[in-house]
Amino acid sequence: MTRVEGIEAMLGDWMPTQRWFAGKDWPVRRVRVLRHTPIGSANVVDHLVVGVVQDVPGRGSQTTAYQVPVEVRPERIERLEHVLVGHNDSGYVYDALHDRTTTGRLLERLHTGEDLGGLTFHRVEGADIPVGLESLVLTGEQSNTSLAFGDQALLKVFRRLVPGTNPDIEVHAALATTGCTAVAPLLGWFDGSWADPDAGETVSGSLGMLQTFLVTATDGWRLALTSVADLYAERDLHADEVGGDFAGESYRLGKATAEVHHALREVLPTGTWGNDDLRAEAEAMRARLHAALHEAPAAAPLVPGLEQAYDRLAELAGPVPVQRIHGDLHLGQVLRTSVNWKLIDFEGEPEKPLATRMALDTPLRDVAGMLRSYDYAALNSLLVDHADDAQLAYRAGEWSERNREFFLDGYAAAGDVDPREQEVLLRAYETDKAVYELVYESRNRPPWAVIPLTALERLAQ
Amino acid sequence: MVAHHHLPPTGTDPLWFKRAVFYEVLVRSFADSDADGIGDMRGLIDRLDYLEWLGVDCLWLPPFFASPLRDGGYDVASYTDILPDFGTVEDFSLLLERAHERGIRVIIDMVMNHTSDQHPWFQASRTDPDGPYGDFYVWADSDTGYADARIIFVDTEVSNWTFDPIRKQYFWHRFFSHQPDLNFDNPAVREAMLDALRFWLELGVDGFRLDAVPYLYEREGTNCENLPETHDFLKQVRDMVDSAYPDRVLLCEANQWPEDVVEYFGDPEVGGDECHMAFHFPVMPRIFMSVRRESRYPISEILERTPQIPSGCQWGIFLRNHDELTLEMVTDEERDYMWAEYAIDPRMKANIGIRRRLAPLLDNDRNQIELFTALLLSLPGSPVLYYGDEIGMGDNIWLGDRDGVRTPMQWTPDRNAGFSTADPGRLTLPVVMDAVYGFQVTNVEAQSRTTSSLLHWTRRMLQVRKQNPAFGLGDFIDVGGSNPSVLSFVRSFGDDVVLCVNNLSRFPQPVELDLRRWEGWLPTEMTGGVPFPPIGELPYLLSVGNHGFFWFQLTPAEEAP
Repeated sequence: MTRVEGIEAMLGDWMPTQRWFAGKDWPVRRVRVLRHTPIGSANVVDHLVVGVVQDVPGRGSQTTAYQVPVEVRPERIERLEHVLVGHNDSGYVYDALHDRTTTGRLLERLHTGEDLGGLTFHRVEGADIPVGLESLVLTGEQSNTSLAFGDQALLKVFRRLVPGTNPDIEVHAALATTGCTAVAPLLGWFDGSWADPDAGETVSGSLGMLQTFLVTATDGWRLALTSVADLYAERDLHADEVGGDFAGESYRLGKATAEVHHALREVLPTGTWGNDDLRAEAEAMRARLHAALHEAPAAAPLVPGLEQAYDRLAELAGPVPVQRIHGDLHLGQVLRTSVNWKLIDFEGEPEKPLATRMALDTPLRDVAGMLRSYDYAALNSLLVDHADDAQLAYRAGEWSERNREFFLDGYAAAGDVDPREQEVLLRAYETDKAVYELVYESRNRPPWAVIPLTALERLAQ
Repeated sequence: MVAHHHLPPTGTDPLWFKRAVFYEVLVRSFADSDADGIGDMRGLIDRLDYLEWLGVDCLWLPPFFASPLRDGGYDVASYTDILPDFGTVEDFSLLLERAHERGIRVIIDMVMNHTSDQHPWFQASRTDPDGPYGDFYVWADSDTGYADARIIFVDTEVSNWTFDPIRKQYFWHRFFSHQPDLNFDNPAVREAMLDALRFWLELGVDGFRLDAVPYLYEREGTNCENLPETHDFLKQVRDMVDSAYPDRVLLCEANQWPEDVVEYFGDPEVGGDECHMAFHFPVMPRIFMSVRRESRYPISEILERTPQIPSGCQWGIFLRNHDELTLEMVTDEERDYMWAEYAIDPRMKANIGIRRRLAPLLDNDRNQIELFTALLLSLPGSPVLYYGDEIGMGDNIWLGDRDGVRTPMQWTPDRNAGFSTADPGRLTLPVVMDAVYGFQVTNVEAQSRTTSSLLHWTRRMLQVRKQNPAFGLGDFIDVGGSNPSVLSFVRSFGDDVVLCVNNLSRFPQPVELDLRRWEGWLPTEMTGGVPFPPIGELPYLLSVGNHGFFWFQLTPAEEAP
């Protein structure tokens, strides 16, 4: 501990200033090191798992585990000034993930698949790990820290830790055996164990994952907005006439989505839902709809129409096949590369508990998520730049409709069933998703509430 | 008299074609020296100073052999005679001499697969089955053989066999029924073809564009394309060229996917032992699609799909040529792909297939013309310019078939655009006279007087390209970037590193590029020499105007000027 002497106090001050720190609403009472593992002999990375103790109103004292790899340098290093954690008698303590001369330690361990006792590195069989490349921390990441090693590999280091295998690692590891090309290949991962202060026992969980870096990629949201911008510039042309037509991409995206669903079915558990399950699902949706009215009373007149979708879901006899799905699929979770579309981030909705995120569900939930995303892409810039423009609103509706149809065509063409033949499920999921959006927007961005509201009006008919 | 750049001594520059800018020139439409309304070799000779000034390295002359001209000269009636309209073999010899004096090489079209039915070989073959030419063509008693070979011109031909009433047998033809296929199984045919090639090589041509090479041989039970025997013959041709005629180039025309075309480069172990060059057909439509979609992916996808080629080989790329690719002319596989992937946009479909020149295809938008040309000059491969596109010539869609893009070169605002002193009614094709592209407005003379003209811009770009071996010889690295409308790539050859950033959108765009592997290097814009901020660890931010592009020379900080 001498090298990281006083680290707990330093982290108590430093961690709340970091973007990935989740407990910004409450003061930090103290930080405890739960596990300390030095990595390497020169340019040592002091790998720390720490518990952050906070008093949460109504829930008392709560400890959250975080991963904080640091390094201690004898002298001050100017280029790391922005990630200086503090200093002690041994030197200056920095966030090691930002030091490109040090992060190679992690890559080397992933390559050799080393077990450091409580910190274990795994390499996917046959994976080519680009040892020797320097890293750069990517901006834009919210809750984790991601490092690009050259243009070859992307290391995602989880910051807030939960016991258990991260679903993103689990899914990618399983898909690695299927030959599915619509995801970024997993190269390796690392996990570890630490003393869970609340339970008083040792728990283990995922710490990070290494994937092929998709250097030529841009996300689907960005690409879709490019198409919409082109549409808005040609007020007299329909969505199928403008140069920036997105339908071909939507079709390929639908195919990629179906391919991933197919591969997930091959290697991970599947099951069926009977009428009981469907009724329970319908009731949960109904409850969410009624709860939403507190936030968005404007939706009240739509309730009878919307409930019909749930009534029909509750009447479905089943069995309906269920499987592992993406769980939070939208245009921001897909990347267009020079070769094809890739689905990323199989973590599910991060706010939900791990068990829920890994539960079996119908793939129609992913399809519905993507269909809703098209609505957002079509209308987003309209709200930002062209409010109250009826002509553009009409064109945007055409764009959304066209691309939804091509997405579904592509999905059906990949050999899976046509989602439009499961209209009851699709409609219920789409309605539920729009209800979720309505709550979110009403709370956070009231002008945007018109997007889900317009969709709900359509779905209520 | 300007100081000419002579060609380097024979045998010292075998890879010249990898750095060259090619220029396709139709002799018939370029310049008429004898006032008969038809362009000719001596007319072309008179314009060599212009081509040297422009900065092209090699002329490609489509067929000018004796021919009944039922297929634009691709129906050859003699392999060693020139169509009298164009002059004589002596005139052609003079062209080679004068071009070489200016450092310009010349390659010519060679149709090996078939001849015209007017060729003396065919006339002898049909009348004297037992004579020396009896076996020069592919004859059969029935029309049922090679049933798996597709019919290329489905709209004009019903079969690959046609009955000859004189010999009373069927002859085989992959193209038109007036173009019987030569029988390459006959050693005498192979020798005759090698003789024909030698004839032109002896005159001094710098190479051949080999037309329709996939079809030389026929074998039952195959589609009669890309057969091993065809490759064997090409190796024989290459061997003959390498051993007796150094620095000459074979350019293969095989309208197929790049992964199939690479077969025509031959053995990569020896750097290639068939054709030196092959056209990369899908690049051109992809450039059009990318700009229309405002997305880099159509281009980056096809480059990603393009396999490595042997070290001694090079792709040929083009934006437009005399014989445009249409969706009907591509292979089944390619057509299926194009339809499935991109034909959902009806406008695009109409725009790709038709035969138009670059400027009218792009609505004469100078920004787009420059962007397309910059892409042509910077993507991997040797660019092939089409005559007249350097001044933004228009087309005449009323001429029908392929003639709309073959109108006379527009030299001056004078009568017949300075192409010919014949009566206007006598011209091979009428000059373009519309208000935008007409010769009164769009011509070489006017543009050479205005330094801001497209002509001067094109010349400047050719000069810049010539100064940087990376364009012809370098690696291609797609550097991606945050903005899907911006195509950014690096070409590098030794210490020559060039970054090209292309905005495919009609709106100005920002882009962030991960250039860490050149951290500490300095970008210098290449057309103006303006230094840009050094590359750091963080993403490099650029803003690019609508349909704009940048070419940067990247130099390590210590070497920067």
